Amino acid sequence: MNQIEMKHVGYQYNKTGEQALIDIDLTIRSGEFVGIVGSNGSGKSTLARLLNVLLEPTEGQVLIGGLDTHKRENVQQIRQKVGMVFQNPDNQLVATKVEDDVAFGLENLGVPSSQIRRRVDRALEQVDMQDYRDFSPHQLSGGQKQRVALAGILAMEPSCIVLDEPTAMLDPRGRKEVMSVVQDLNQQKNITVVYITHVMREASRTDRIIVMSEGKIVRRGQPAPIFADIDFMNKIGLSVPPVTELAVALRKKGLNLPDIMDVDELVKCIC
Amino acid sequence: MHMLIELKNVSYIYEQEPPVTALEKINLNIEPGAFIGLIGHTGSGKTTLVQLLNGLIKPTSGQVIVDGKDIGENKKGLKDIRRRIGLVFQYPEHQLFEETVYRELAFGPKNLGLDKDEIDIRIREALNLIGMDFDKYSDRSPFNLSGGQQRKIALAGVLAMKPGVLILDEPFAGLDPRGRKQLTELLKRLHEQQNISFILISHRMDEISYLATRILALKEGHIVLDGSPAEIFSQPEKLKEIALDIPQLTEILFRLQKKGLEVRSDIFDIEQAADEIIDKLRSRNIC
Ligand SMILES: Nc1ncnc2c1ncn2[C@@H]1O[C@H](COP(=O)(O)OP(=O)(O)OP(=O)(O)O)[C@@H](O)[C@H]1O
Ligand SMILES: Nc1ncnc2c1ncn2[C@@H]1O[C@H](COP(=O)(O)OP(=O)(O)OP(=O)(O)O)[C@@H](O)[C@H]1O
Ligand SMILES: [Mg+2]
Ligand SMILES: [Mg+2]
Repeated sequence: MNQIEMKHVGYQYNKTGEQALIDIDLTIRSGEFVGIVGSNGSGKSTLARLLNVLLEPTEGQVLIGGLDTHKRENVQQIRQKVGMVFQNPDNQLVATKVEDDVAFGLENLGVPSSQIRRRVDRALEQVDMQDYRDFSPHQLSGGQKQRVALAGILAMEPSCIVLDEPTAMLDPRGRKEVMSVVQDLNQQKNITVVYITHVMREASRTDRIIVMSEGKIVRRGQPAPIFADIDFMNKIGLSVPPVTELAVALRKKGLNLPDIMDVDELVKCIC
Repeated sequence: MHMLIELKNVSYIYEQEPPVTALEKINLNIEPGAFIGLIGHTGSGKTTLVQLLNGLIKPTSGQVIVDGKDIGENKKGLKDIRRRIGLVFQYPEHQLFEETVYRELAFGPKNLGLDKDEIDIRIREALNLIGMDFDKYSDRSPFNLSGGQQRKIALAGVLAMKPGVLILDEPFAGLDPRGRKQLTELLKRLHEQQNISFILISHRMDEISYLATRILALKEGHIVLDGSPAEIFSQPEKLKEIALDIPQLTEILFRLQKKGLEVRSDIFDIEQAADEIIDKLRSRNIC
């Protein structure tokens, strides 16, 4: 089934300004793990905001699980299907206790309290934070806060999660934690994931990446062949992981190496 | 221009229920011309520490001393210190407040008492340094920019003040790879050519290792590591314990060493690392 369909989508913030998105055609299937990369201002966050109807396209059509985001009567249902996680968990956590925070969205939806309890428990378990239910969010590390923000979204039982630079403010451990939680959700619960990042090492771990530049999709496909075209990536303001960059530098100096995406591979090839 | 910053027994407690001790008995000298990389897990006290350094907050106990003077005892001096010690905030949206990019960037230089022409020159220079087009952005509202664009404007605002000490709190977060690379090279150039001292907070070990001359690691409000990048990043296990990591390049060099290729592991520049690997492969003629 198609989770997300964007047909000839354009977006303009104001009539005189430039197009933030131009003629986007994109289909994402249920259960896919898709990475989105692109330079600053290329339209990634705008695209994300169209998916849970924070914005409506000024041209074309966005369908979520077959529902058109233009139709007012669909909006609530779409927002239940698509959960958003932003860069800074502090902006997303509102309550003084972790479990209240996770319950917040459900209460807003008018879910009966007997169900809320069950869904909060399950969401906290999914992100492995059940032992912290009575903590205050400010007592948590950044990685833990980001897990709680994610639990708040999971409690809504979305079929798709959109994450907009969720690890930008996290320490290296927190970054790994969030990535592995998201991977588990995708693999074990078959949740569709759209993952926006500037960290190429993270993007290289998704099933498929979408590369954006100046409001358009300029490449799409598996990460390895796309990252192999370093010149193109550099041209549009992106880069490749350090290990790939080192491999290219070695190749230029005469070493015979294939396209490389991870450390194990490089070490094996050199020694 | 050159300033010596000293912290003596500095503690900071956020007064709330329950109180949070963010820093405990910190003693530290920051020598003029240093490039300090400040690392530590989320919530370790990095932002609190740099806010103390330019007088945004006052220590609960202990002293912050700039050029021999306790900044807590000198109200007039504080204004001067904020001019000379520039701070780029972790969240740029906390820093931006004017209606247009131009006015945003003019704010600091105006406060310095500069005339209109000089202010205009400074704004153009600052936008040029961070690689943003003057004509395209000067009339835009800073609030209608993308995340990365906002961060660059916040940085340009501080650069336009030409501070002697520049403190950057997570400046790479939200920047695209080209922006990160440009900023990295800009900081290196400013440090080498203009003698500005730097304190750089970042969770990105790749950039920290490339830029810093000295690294401080915080854990739960204490300085637990203090040394050169080579010293700090030769302790991967210790770093992992405190939620940190080594740069990917360092990891590769260690792994090659384990496989018997005797490369140096204290290199933080990709080109230099490539030369070192080729060199050792040639001289050993194995592998
Ligand atoms: N609220 C707004 N009003 C007007 N223009 C906007 C607004 N938000 C973003 N834009 C513009 O739309 C374009 C796309 O912005 P968007 O935020 O989608 O980029 P992005 O790819 O998420 O960038 P970043 O990596 O910096 O977060 C940019 O040119 C930006 O300046
Ligand atoms: N305004 C505040 N009120 C109460 N507590 C605070 C406040 N700001 C920070 N703290 C607490 O002080 C401690 C240190 O926070 P600080 O922001 O200095 O950490 P940091 O190292 O900058 O973390 P990060 O990498 O997440 O930015 C944390 O426990 C934090 O929760
Ligand atoms: Mg964005
Ligand atoms: Mg901080």
